[in-house]
Order: sequence, then structure tokens, then C-alpha cells
Amino acid sequence: MSTVVEQIEQQIAKLSSKAIKKNTGTIRAVADGVAKLDGLSDVMYNEMVQFPGGAIGIALNLEADEVGCVVLGDVSQLKEGDEVQTTGKLLSVPVGRALLGRVVDALGRPVDGKGPIDSKEFYPVEKIAPGIMVRKSVNQPLFTGIMAIDSMIPIGRGQRELIIGDRGTGKTTICIDTIINQGRINKVGLASGDKSFRPVYSIYVAIGQKQSNVVRTIAALEAAGALEYTVIVAATAGDNPANQYLAPFSGASIGEWFMENGMDALIVYDDLSKHAVAYRQISLILKRPSGREAYPGDVFYLHSRLLERAARLDGKGSLTALPVIETQAGDVSAYIPTNVISITDGQIFLETDLFNQGIRPAVSVGLSVSRVGSSAQIKVTKQVGGKLKGELAQFRELAAFAQFGSDLDAKTKAQLERGSRIVELFKQPQLNPLSIELQAAILWALQKTYFDAIEVKNVVSAANSLKDYLTSRKDALLTKIRTEAKLSDEIEAGLKAAADEWKSTFAAQ
Amino acid sequence: MRGDKKTKLLAKQLFKLSLRDGQVSSEQVAGVLGYIEQAAPRHALALLKLYQQAIVTELAKSHARVEHAGPISAATLQLIASAMTKKYARPVTATPQPNPRLLAGLRVRIGSDLYESSVAGQLATLSHAV
Repeated sequence: MSTVVEQIEQQIAKLSSKAIKKNTGTIRAVADGVAKLDGLSDVMYNEMVQFPGGAIGIALNLEADEVGCVVLGDVSQLKEGDEVQTTGKLLSVPVGRALLGRVVDALGRPVDGKGPIDSKEFYPVEKIAPGIMVRKSVNQPLFTGIMAIDSMIPIGRGQRELIIGDRGTGKTTICIDTIINQGRINKVGLASGDKSFRPVYSIYVAIGQKQSNVVRTIAALEAAGALEYTVIVAATAGDNPANQYLAPFSGASIGEWFMENGMDALIVYDDLSKHAVAYRQISLILKRPSGREAYPGDVFYLHSRLLERAARLDGKGSLTALPVIETQAGDVSAYIPTNVISITDGQIFLETDLFNQGIRPAVSVGLSVSRVGSSAQIKVTKQVGGKLKGELAQFRELAAFAQFGSDLDAKTKAQLERGSRIVELFKQPQLNPLSIELQAAILWALQKTYFDAIEVKNVVSAANSLKDYLTSRKDALLTKIRTEAKLSDEIEAGLKAAADEWKSTFAAQ
Repeated sequence: MRGDKKTKLLAKQLFKLSLRDGQVSSEQVAGVLGYIEQAAPRHALALLKLYQQAIVTELAKSHARVEHAGPISAATLQLIASAMTKKYARPVTATPQPNPRLLAGLRVRIGSDLYESSVAGQLATLSHAV
């Protein structure tokens, strides 16, 4: 009892009788989540300001006679003439491990009903990206669990890889699969007791999405056991544009904590098209000059300063970014898509036509690229999948020609047969990422012509049968591939024996 | 309505004309108002509002409004005025304004700065801290 009283007395003692100086202003107008303020002569750019009723805002426009401020919170209680105060602080969000498994809003406040977040550290939302000297080149792989991506468009830790495509082509699915795969890898790695194992923590930032979609994502991650390694930052379509504008920056701050504390993190911005729209809305209300497609002139800087925060730091960790962009009718040359394409280190382009043909994930091999290249691949993937991209590109070219003529030479026929088998093999159901050792084993079987004798329409079921066989009976061999990460003679012999055995059982079915 | 760019510029120029030795001069203001009446510029209402806003903001910088709960002596007001004059390096006058909601103590407002030394303010800070 006495300690409680002492605590209060200490708190009272802290409050000195000296006058406290505050800088104040008054609300002149409030519209669409933006307040115009008089006064606030000492306010700084991006400073938090305190509105009555607990709402806070950020000063974004400092003009000679007024301050433009976005309001984060309920604006319905604010009225003209209300007093506003500066806080002397930049907007910060809670960071740390305590956020794992939680769903927070753009300000880091929990929205999942699981109680308060016990976080002692705060990071500013706007932070300057790491400089040149502290960075390290990207050469550690980040496995998505999607065979088409891991073998042909590898992503490295610290890379920025854009996921781009029309609506309903599976952009979010690729991101969710990647997060689920990180969860699976983390579980296996942490259980193995390997001290060199570096888990990847994920941050999923939902910008302007339907709440039902966010709920579905959370449920999928929870069902796959990946939520415990994931932080979800949700600024849904119902949130005001200011929150949608801030959410990716808050997510980046949460990810930076992992990076700066020697850990690896993955951040998904889903999606930056809606983010640009929210920023355009704020900018137009703030009466900033508009440019192409009515976006403000600094919309490129908006995304470049966000994506530059993803990096691999020397002696520390990494932050890998997967920004998502939604195109309209496959137009990658629109304003925002070209901006983000030029900022990122590659893109995975998803095509509606492929999706409708049943090729899922609908990755367009021709338009997709990873500028980090094979330096972010392990040796075994390079050994079994090094030529796949070329073969597939050749197949697409030949397939277009084959439509016009029926008489094809044997070599062309063989290339077409092989290409169609690769396409079938890369088909993968959603929420079902494959481990890298399993991918390597299947690609090895493809390379060694084990699928050539199987009819194209049966390739998917054959691959599934091989996966089941390997996971149920050859666990030791898969573990060996994972730990050694290269195809040694011993592993090849093991794979050959396993594939021969599987072939006889599959043929008998 | 805040007026267009030209109106804003004109209001700014008229405001500058209203100053003498860095202080708002009543004669100058009367002159400016006479000019507006005579010239009848476009958007006169918006112009006058902008001009008024600028003058009010400028006057507030030289005027300390001292809110107090309980009595306040003329000597205290004089002390506040001289302290503010020294701090802001311009002549500042202080006027009292009773405010029983402060419970005890003072709150001095000058321009957009607020000096809080009231019990109500301290309690508000305490409630935020707990």
C-alpha cells in the first residue's frame, strides 16, 4: 500500500511548479481527415500535434499563415476554434518481439483484442534509409516456397522485389505463401538447434484492403502456424487516408527494429497502388500542386524513401521488401507501376491470361526478373534449375510458332513436350509452399527426364506423388539436401535410387 | 473563404504597411482601411478578413493574456509584462482574465505560446502520465 502512495508522491514530485511552455494553435477548418490550423508558430515538419479528445495529427504543410495537418483518429469530435498543441515529438510506433503474432493499426495500437502490447522501444515512423557504407550486397536467399520463383526469379535477404499484376491474379497469395514458408522454415530451423540459423520474421502491411480480406489473411497465417512469426499492420479501406498513408512507414519501422538488432525480416506492402491513392487524396486536400494523374510531384519520393529502408546491413540483419502493385488491364507502363519498377530490384509479373488458363501461380517468365540473380540462390537450386528460365522462354517462343504449322521436327517437338511439362510442374496450389529441398528433388527428377514418360495431363499428379513419397519415406535424404545445400555424388545417388523406386510404384498405380 | 493568391499577397502588403518600427500602428491601420474603402479591390471581404487575421496575430505577439484563478496583483502583472518584454525582445503588455477553472495558479498566453503554471494544467499532465 505504502509503495503505491510513494509512487504517486514521486510522480507528483516530478511535476515541478515551474511554468511549462507549450506552443498552441487553433483549428481553422477540418475536412476529410485534414485540419488547417492557425498559430503553432514553433511546429516542426512531421511533428505530432495533440488535438482535444486524444486525437493526434501530423504537421505536413507549414505555410506562412497556416499549418496543414493530417488527423489520425476520430475527426468527428473536432470543431473550429478548438485548441491544438505541439508535442515536440515525431510520430513513433512501438517495436520489438512483443508485436509478433499481433495485429496493429498504423500507429502500432493493437486491434486484435488480445490486450495491450508490452513494448518498451519506439521507433520513429519516418526514418532516413541506411547509407551506402553500412550496406552489404544481397547474397543470402529468402525462400518463397513457390517453385517457379525460387528456381527462376530468386529473392535475396535485403532485396526489394515487386509483385505486380491485375486484380485477382494471385499477388497477395504469393505474399501469404512466402510468409507461411518463413514460418515453416523458422519452426524447422529453431527446432534443429542450429546456432547459425537465422529466422525471418514477417510484417504484412494491409493498405486500403477490405476488412474481410485482412481477416482471411490472418486466419490463413494462423492456420499455417505462421502468425507467431508475423506482425500485421492493418489500415483497411474504412480507415482514413492518413492512416493508409502512414501504415507502410509504420511497418517499415517495425521491420527495421529486427534488422538493426541483427535479425532478418520480410515486409509485404499490400498494396502501394492504394497507398499512392491515399497520398494523392491527402495532397489534394492539402492543396499541394498535382501532376500526372493528379498525383503530387513527390509520389516517387514517397515510395523511394519507403523502399530504400529495405536493406542488408553489414554486421546486422536485413529487411526484405515485397511491395505489391495492382495494374489496370496489364498496363505496366502506367505512372505508379513504372515508378515502383524503377525503384525495386526486380519484379514478378502475374498475367491474367495465364491465371485463366489454370497456370497458377500465373508468373510471366518473360516479364519477371530478379536483378540480384543467382547470387541469392543456394548451389543445389542453381544445379537443378539453372537452365529452366531459358528452356521455358524457348518453349513459349516455339509454342507460338507451333500454332501455325503441324509438321514439326523431332527436336522442336521434344522442346515443346519438355516445356509443357515444366509449366505443369510449376503449378502449385495456394497456401502450400514447398521446402527448398523438395523443390530441388523434383527439379532434379525433371532434369533427369523422370517426367518425360508421363503424359502432360498427369504431370501434376505425378509430382504430387513424388512429393508424398519423398516426404514420407526419404526424410533423411531431404534433410541432407537442406543441410548440405548442394548436389554431392552421394545425394545424387540417393535421389536416383529414390526416384527409381518411386517410378516403379507410380507406374504400377 | 481565404481568398486567392493575389488577395493573399495584397493582404500581406497592406499588413506590412500597417507597421511602424515593427509595431502595429493605429494611424497606419486607419490609412490602410481608408485605402480599401476608396479603392474597393476585388474580393474586398476576403481581403479584409486576411488583413484582420494578420493584425490580430501580430497584436497577440505583443500582448500577454494572463488567466488566473483568485486575485492577481498589479505588481505581478507588471512582473509578467517585463519578463515577457525581455524574453521576446519587444514591448509586451499584460492584461488579466479571471478563469476559475484553473483552480489555482496562472496561465499566460502570448502569441501561439502558452505558459502553463496552473493546478488544472498540472492535474491534466498528471492524468496523462498515469
